[in-house]
Amino acid sequence: MEHLAIPLLNGVVYGLLLFMVSAGLTLIFGMMGILNFAHASFYMLGAYFAYALQGAVGFWVAVAVSPLLVGAIGVLVERHVLRRVHRYGHAHELLVTFGLSFIIVELVKLFFGNYPVNYRVPADLDFAAFTLGGLDYPAYRLFMGIVAIGMFVAIYLLLSRTRVGIIVRSAIHRPEMAEALGHNVPRVFMGVFGVGAAMAGLAGAVAGAFYTTSPNMALELGVLVFVVVVIGGLGSLEGAMLASLLIGVVTSVAVGIDATPADLLVWLGAGDLAQDAAGILSLKISSLAASLPFALMLLVLLVRPSGLMGEKE
Amino acid sequence: MKSHSVLNMALLPGLLCVSALAAAAPVKIALVETLSGPQASTGLTYRSAVRYAVDRINADGGWHGQPLELLEYDNQGGPAGAADKLKAAISDGAQLVVQGASSAIGGQITEDVRKWNLRNPGRELIYLNVGAEAQSLTGEKCQFYHFRVAGNAPMRVKALVAGMKQDGALGSRVYAINQNYSWGQDMEQAIVDAAASGGYQVVEKTLHDVGKIQDFSPYVNKIAAARADTVMTGNWGSDLLLLMKAARASGLKARFGTVYLDQPGNIANAGDVALGGYVAQAFNAEAAGEAGAAFVQDYQAKMGHAPTFIEPQTVFGVLLVGEALKHVPAGDGKLDVRKLALQLEQASLETPMGTLSMRAQDHQALLPLAVSVVSRDARYKADGTDLGFKPVKRFTAQEAAVPAQGTCRMQRPD
Repeated sequence: MEHLAIPLLNGVVYGLLLFMVSAGLTLIFGMMGILNFAHASFYMLGAYFAYALQGAVGFWVAVAVSPLLVGAIGVLVERHVLRRVHRYGHAHELLVTFGLSFIIVELVKLFFGNYPVNYRVPADLDFAAFTLGGLDYPAYRLFMGIVAIGMFVAIYLLLSRTRVGIIVRSAIHRPEMAEALGHNVPRVFMGVFGVGAAMAGLAGAVAGAFYTTSPNMALELGVLVFVVVVIGGLGSLEGAMLASLLIGVVTSVAVGIDATPADLLVWLGAGDLAQDAAGILSLKISSLAASLPFALMLLVLLVRPSGLMGEKE
Repeated sequence: MKSHSVLNMALLPGLLCVSALAAAAPVKIALVETLSGPQASTGLTYRSAVRYAVDRINADGGWHGQPLELLEYDNQGGPAGAADKLKAAISDGAQLVVQGASSAIGGQITEDVRKWNLRNPGRELIYLNVGAEAQSLTGEKCQFYHFRVAGNAPMRVKALVAGMKQDGALGSRVYAINQNYSWGQDMEQAIVDAAASGGYQVVEKTLHDVGKIQDFSPYVNKIAAARADTVMTGNWGSDLLLLMKAARASGLKARFGTVYLDQPGNIANAGDVALGGYVAQAFNAEAAGEAGAAFVQDYQAKMGHAPTFIEPQTVFGVLLVGEALKHVPAGDGKLDVRKLALQLEQASLETPMGTLSMRAQDHQALLPLAVSVVSRDARYKADGTDLGFKPVKRFTAQEAAVPAQGTCRMQRPD
């Protein structure tokens, strides 16, 4: 039982972290049509801001303040960079965010150096929540999961239950009509971009302490975040949640499976064939764990190109 | 001040001779390293080590009084970029190529150098490998103009096993977890091969993707389920850090035996998580005694930081070339690379760690190693923390050596 319980729990928590980062990306795309390549850079900035602040104001304040700073940077980027290139079309917006991701990573290197920095889980959260199968389960992992769920609930309620949510959703579907009714649509977009960036910043501030805070952290997570958004359906918050959990659980459980495709053939009674073929058939599932999300993305694109929860177009 | 002018008079013919040489062709050394992009941090450390070593050779008079010239090329982190920059280096007149980060790039360079040398007799090129540790480079791909002055997987594992055993930290159940590419596969093989002599059992082997995994806790579960006493890994960068952090967060009791724990930033980021972790290193300032302290001090004064990670082995490797250059006659002022290669095969150098020499059979350097443990008692602290690498066992070059691979069939020039 515990052999399945721990990987599942690990997968869910990791999936929730993925969701925290990808939620902003999918929101921004869904509302503004911008595929933001710099999104994972906001995640990295969140971690570095929290690291820089924690010495002065302590861990908790740093984790609360750093998303606000990242959100403010997001607002500035939208107001002064993206809005200028908006009229040239999506390709230009994409290129601008692509360039921005390079600039952010080089700036981080300039200020904080090339190597991982000393940003760690605070001592009062560094304990085992419970013990399962002889291994401690770190309380900080649960904390990350709770933060992610809290964020999902807050954003979901904001969009579906409040007046602000109504305006945002109307600005997406019928921007001209919303504008005619007196709403400032560019300001709505600016706010959405800022909130999206702040969510990535929060994820960075929380996860940077548990994983590593280094100039490569954006790159390491960036690709996976796009995979989440594609699988979940571009623009769908629920889809991003579903895809994140799926990827988290699949990679986590796959690590424990040492079977090979050849074993399947043996089971089907074609053992000799598998022995002869060797090569790709003798690869262990566990050694492919980190590649499975990409296989999953391929499958989703083939079967359901709009993603699991994406709107049909 | 009369004596000065006399001295000048005496030196003048010598200086004239030097300038004549310089006009002929200075010896050019090309560094083809990753100087930009996500992997740049390692490439930049190679660069500072090579700069330091070349400056030192030049301060000693270079080659027959003529300074060596260092050219730097950015291979942009991949074999394709390296192949391009190698061509540029050759057309700029480089006679020696230095590279270290990534065995994939090393594999590309050694093949390109071999082909160039086949097609351009008389204009040969030496590849000085300061850090690509894949076995194939001194195995099936070995060739006369490739020289490796770094370690390799069997050497590192052999030292690690002996050092951890002496400390009573090895145990009898070892888990091998490595990155799924040439280096990681070599490490896995080496860990399995050393089982009999180390008196342990490899309870399980895992290969995982390189640099793609954020969450190592599923792997930690596997390690715990295998009831391993020791985890041996050739992982570097975030793959090592995240693995160790996940292990400690789960309260895993197993010890870690590593190769790259001394990479800058690791100790700062991991903190107490790294405590008690073992590493097989080519240089440990504390183990090297006074000579080590002098080297660290000089390096710090010139480069602005203490030499860590791959820097010492790179410095010693380039200085070994400087040693070999001393025995190559000036001739017509142009360096005969074939003669340099033949001298390099015989070269040896007294480093702070002991004697470093080249094995002619497969061009693998015989280098002294040390096994260290992360501890608060270490004399030299790492990354500005209160932790450092305390040496537990030293190995002379002979003790650390492993036999050459049978797959190396070197074509020697006649």
